[in-house]
Amino acid sequence: MLRCEAVGKRYGRGRWILRDVDMKVSAGDVLAVVGSNGSGKSTLLRILAGLSQPTSGSVSRRPSHIGYVPDRFTAHDRISAISYLTHMGRIRGLSASAARTRGDHLLERLSLVGGRDASLRTLSKGNAQKVALAQALLVQPDLLVLDEPWSGLDASAHGVLAEFIDEAAARGGAVVFTDHREAITETHASGVYVISDGRVTLHGGRHAGGRASMVELVLAVPPTGVMPVEVNWSALPGVVDSARRGEEVVLRVAWEHSDAVLLTALQHRWSVAGLTGTVGEHDHRFDVRRSAL
Amino acid sequence: MIALVRYMFTVLLLSQRYLAPLLLFLGLVAVLTSSDAGPLTATYASVAGAMLLCSIWLTMALIGLEDQPHRSIVVVSTGSHLRVLLATVGTAAVWCLLLTAAGLVLPLMFGTHTPGLADLALGTEAQLTCAFTGIAIGLVCSRLVFRRQGYALVLALVLLLAVLLGKGVSPVNIMLTHLQNASDSTDALVPTGVLLAVAAGFLVVGAAVTQAITLRKA
Repeated sequence: MLRCEAVGKRYGRGRWILRDVDMKVSAGDVLAVVGSNGSGKSTLLRILAGLSQPTSGSVSRRPSHIGYVPDRFTAHDRISAISYLTHMGRIRGLSASAARTRGDHLLERLSLVGGRDASLRTLSKGNAQKVALAQALLVQPDLLVLDEPWSGLDASAHGVLAEFIDEAAARGGAVVFTDHREAITETHASGVYVISDGRVTLHGGRHAGGRASMVELVLAVPPTGVMPVEVNWSALPGVVDSARRGEEVVLRVAWEHSDAVLLTALQHRWSVAGLTGTVGEHDHRFDVRRSAL
Repeated sequence: MIALVRYMFTVLLLSQRYLAPLLLFLGLVAVLTSSDAGPLTATYASVAGAMLLCSIWLTMALIGLEDQPHRSIVVVSTGSHLRVLLATVGTAAVWCLLLTAAGLVLPLMFGTHTPGLADLALGTEAQLTCAFTGIAIGLVCSRLVFRRQGYALVLALVLLLAVLLGKGVSPVNIMLTHLQNASDSTDALVPTGVLLAVAAGFLVVGAAVTQAITLRKA
């Protein structure tokens, strides 16, 4: 899909921020760009999104539908969140009603605090970030460019953002994001580009075999002895298998639904005895036991 | 493009940043045309002068509304810097058309005139000539070109004086001088139309300069 060849960038006669950057972004890729403050991550993302022209080199085969979330979304407009999204949807070619419906749906998934009719200027940083994220997803993007998208988001929105990234990649789009935290890039990216001294190098990815697609969840009676409420686990979205092992319940859950199932279990007074990520049928990646939880 | 103009129009409307130039325009029109019973050519020349000042202010306010992250989102959503710039020009033009309508009607209410179709056409041409020139100046002096608004304001004042006082060079100066001395609107229609075309050329040049500098700075 997108290809950068020998891309370099400098502003005026200043120092070279990027030099000889070769980068290939293919459909379905989830790529992280990491580097220290001021290393040029945002500049690289702006070039990928078509906002900035490279001083040297070329960027080719940029897709038409690009979603872009800037590193800070200083929302001081009086316009309401849903009205802003409706306008952005219209600009992207949606009808007003389709844009409004899609905006509503995205804000609902992101659990925007303050309501859809709150003006942007009244939103907190995290909630403004949710609106910024929603506008990038109004139309399914072929390329989703996210500049530190997790910053300011609460824990529940982290999960939703991960779902958005997975959905975009699953539909054949590509995702490129930056973040300082290694844990985040390792968890979400299939490839990591590191920027240092203006040079960009590919450092492979965290998972040679792909993201854990299933989660095995072991639930037990809490040590306090309080009896948990029985739940029809098979009826929950994403639960592909449920089995009893003594007093424990073992669930196999699709990764994207694991947070919701875990929340349901905790709300029904179950205790988490184990949590194992798996790829298909084989155990992989992480195994978190009670002590770690 | 229409969606983009609607968005920009709404943002400016909700921001209320249009209020100051609007009030200035109405105030200038009221002061310059109250109890006026002379030919409408000179009256509309005065209104056009007010339009020049207000169109510069409106354009600078419109572009200054959105900071870089917001503008980046709009650029990515539309797919090009140029479309966003053209929509900005379009939005400023829509605001100026609203002012033009007010500028045509208010002098008739404040003074004693018997307007004909030629008078109204001349008033529209004169105001649009100044509006196009003002939008061009507003673009070049906007946040897209100048990060420091102090410099931009100084340049805007210099350019405003230049187009008002530049004898034989500025379409605004030529038009205002001509209309002050003309008595028949029908005779002044064609020369003013030519100056309107020149002002449209100014606007194209202003937009091209702004676009080039925006891309260079991006």
